[in-house]
Amino acid sequence: MEGFLSTYGAAIVQMALAGVLALSMYLPLMAGQLSLASPGFYAVGGYVAALLSTKVFTGYPNGEYPIPLIVLEMGIAGVIAAFFALIVGIPALRLRGIYLALATIAFVEVLRIFALNQDELGGAVGIYNIPQPFFSATRIEYLVLALPLLVGAALFVARLERSRVGRAFVALREDELAASAMGIFPTYYKVLAFTLGAVLAGMAGALNAHILNTWNARQGTFDLAILILAYVLVGGSRTFLGPIIGAAFLVALPEIILREVAGLPGLNPVIATFLRDGRLILFGVLIAISVFFFPYGLITPSLLKSRRKKTPAEHIEPAKATPKVSGGEL
Amino acid sequence: MSNVVFSKRLSVFLLVVALALLPSTLFAQTQEEPIVIGVAVAQTSNVALLGQEQVIGAQIAEKFFNERGGINGRPFRLAFADTSGDEAGAINAFQTLINRENVVGILGPTLSQQAFAADPIADQAGVPVIAPSNTARGIPQIGRFIFRVSAPVAIVAPNAVKQAIKQNPNIKRVAVFYAQNDAFSVSETGTFQQTVKDLGLELLDVQTFQTTDTDFTTQITNVLPLEPDLVIISGLAADGGNLVRQLRELGYTGTIIGGNGLNTANIFPVCQALCDGILIAQAYSYQYESEINNAFREAYKKLQDKEPPQFSAQAFAGIQVFVEALSKLDKRKPLKDMDLKTLRAELREEIMSGKYDTPLGPISFIEVKKEDGTPAGGEIVQEQFYVAQIRMNPDGKTGRFVFVD
Repeated sequence: MEGFLSTYGAAIVQMALAGVLALSMYLPLMAGQLSLASPGFYAVGGYVAALLSTKVFTGYPNGEYPIPLIVLEMGIAGVIAAFFALIVGIPALRLRGIYLALATIAFVEVLRIFALNQDELGGAVGIYNIPQPFFSATRIEYLVLALPLLVGAALFVARLERSRVGRAFVALREDELAASAMGIFPTYYKVLAFTLGAVLAGMAGALNAHILNTWNARQGTFDLAILILAYVLVGGSRTFLGPIIGAAFLVALPEIILREVAGLPGLNPVIATFLRDGRLILFGVLIAISVFFFPYGLITPSLLKSRRKKTPAEHIEPAKATPKVSGGEL
Repeated sequence: MSNVVFSKRLSVFLLVVALALLPSTLFAQTQEEPIVIGVAVAQTSNVALLGQEQVIGAQIAEKFFNERGGINGRPFRLAFADTSGDEAGAINAFQTLINRENVVGILGPTLSQQAFAADPIADQAGVPVIAPSNTARGIPQIGRFIFRVSAPVAIVAPNAVKQAIKQNPNIKRVAVFYAQNDAFSVSETGTFQQTVKDLGLELLDVQTFQTTDTDFTTQITNVLPLEPDLVIISGLAADGGNLVRQLRELGYTGTIIGGNGLNTANIFPVCQALCDGILIAQAYSYQYESEINNAFREAYKKLQDKEPPQFSAQAFAGIQVFVEALSKLDKRKPLKDMDLKTLRAELREEIMSGKYDTPLGPISFIEVKKEDGTPAGGEIVQEQFYVAQIRMNPDGKTGRFVFVD
């Protein structure tokens, strides 16, 4: 067990963080907005934590950086990400579908190029020597922070799904025109979903800056956006459990193929080499297969419903959910 | 979707996954383990072009030194862990090598950014790391266990300017061009401009461009009336090549120095016959005459059918440092009498104190200090640097890098 944890500590923590990132993309998607901006806020969060811990909260020896300060950094990163989300979201969310996706890709690119050209952010090399709260070579201790973040985010989204706001999101997703006819103010709820997602991404970035020891312009790029989208789509985009499971599955898979399957003793060298170098091909094929068998993702509301005893409130039926919000002020 | 249908689909899905992973479980055997040295470089992703060269260099070293008796008769084995191109991948690879493969030391990672992420982990675990290709500032300063055999930009680049003056002692007036949006070019031009000042040359003008530019007429027209006799360019292949071509077309006849971004045959199709004469500094020359480099060059050519590049030579040198330090340590204190932790710590001291005759020329390490003054790792002390000059063939399409001295 010790060997397992020390080998996979970092990967396990990354699974949790990937889950938070997946939720950050799931939130706008809940309101029907395909936003690929999460990596941008993630990058902002990382830079906030990197700057704060190397420039402001200095003087702690390596391995003794206080955990409360990291929590504070995550909070500040969340607030700053929310600020960015408001500025970007209000104009950008006038766009729909692939146009919104394009605008958010542009936002991520602008941030990347800005960071690359900013001396204070370290240019291409980035900011390094980010202080560590744990004196240990494995990264498993970071679960102390990553797991509560994931569980907290999951509980928040789970509650949100059943709240009036959540139902407004779903109503917007199903039919924006009908929803607005019933008194749901689309811009408000879209920007709210977008901003909540940004806060989660910013906090994940802040934590990951410590885990990675370093932060640079290669973090939170368009590639990551596609990966997060895969987490959400493979896991399922209709319930909060989907993105979390999808993220855990897709982060673990390449690692398992690389370190376990390809490393089995006495494995035929040709196959081992293929598994090692071609694992991304295998990864892509598995994503394609899973989408083929589960077009709505691995986890769907009806699955959750059928697994439990049937209780009417479990399943969010958009058509039923909408009237409930229509009565209130929105 | 009903429960039954879901279960059915799930089982089919799992079956397909199992089938995909099945071949791996078929063949099984065990073997005895020699001393293990880890290699964590980018074998996949967009950095793999460099990483593959490093793998080849390390593999040549493994075969070469094992044939020469390994570590005082005991063979060693390389354990490879793919870092892919990102930071998290580098951390995972390091942890696998340290905790699972129980390596005595690690060669890697490929990128400086990955080193800033993964090296602190090895340092905390007390595992010596030799970086084969990290050239950024601050790498050996990460910790006591971090070394590099790749000389930083600030040391390599000035050699090209010195070579230019050697070829033409009348050079006085210098113009500098650099790609503003490329981080490496920005830091490299800083080094070049400092060198120009240090050597007492006159820096006439500094012009900027973008790596995406194709038309450099404005910048060139600004510079040519100042009559420079040396132009220094820091950019990437396509823009750098175009800039060279347009400089020549607009009548510049003086010397041109290219930065590391132009250090590739990919510029030949861009500036064609006009590429001729560009000077570029190098950390490695395959023409360097020594027993070890001749052996390495021959082994590489036999395997790849071309001259060895810098990345392979540096990876080879990294493994060589490990092997020679382990051999010396073994004579002092037999390796088999030490536990892994002691062995790693002793190896660190041994690497630091040794001198190595590598394909890069004779190298050694000097202990650097962290910002707070505490001792850190080993920066390379390389005695020999090289400058190559581009020589285009008469067809104007193909050419080669000729080392000058």
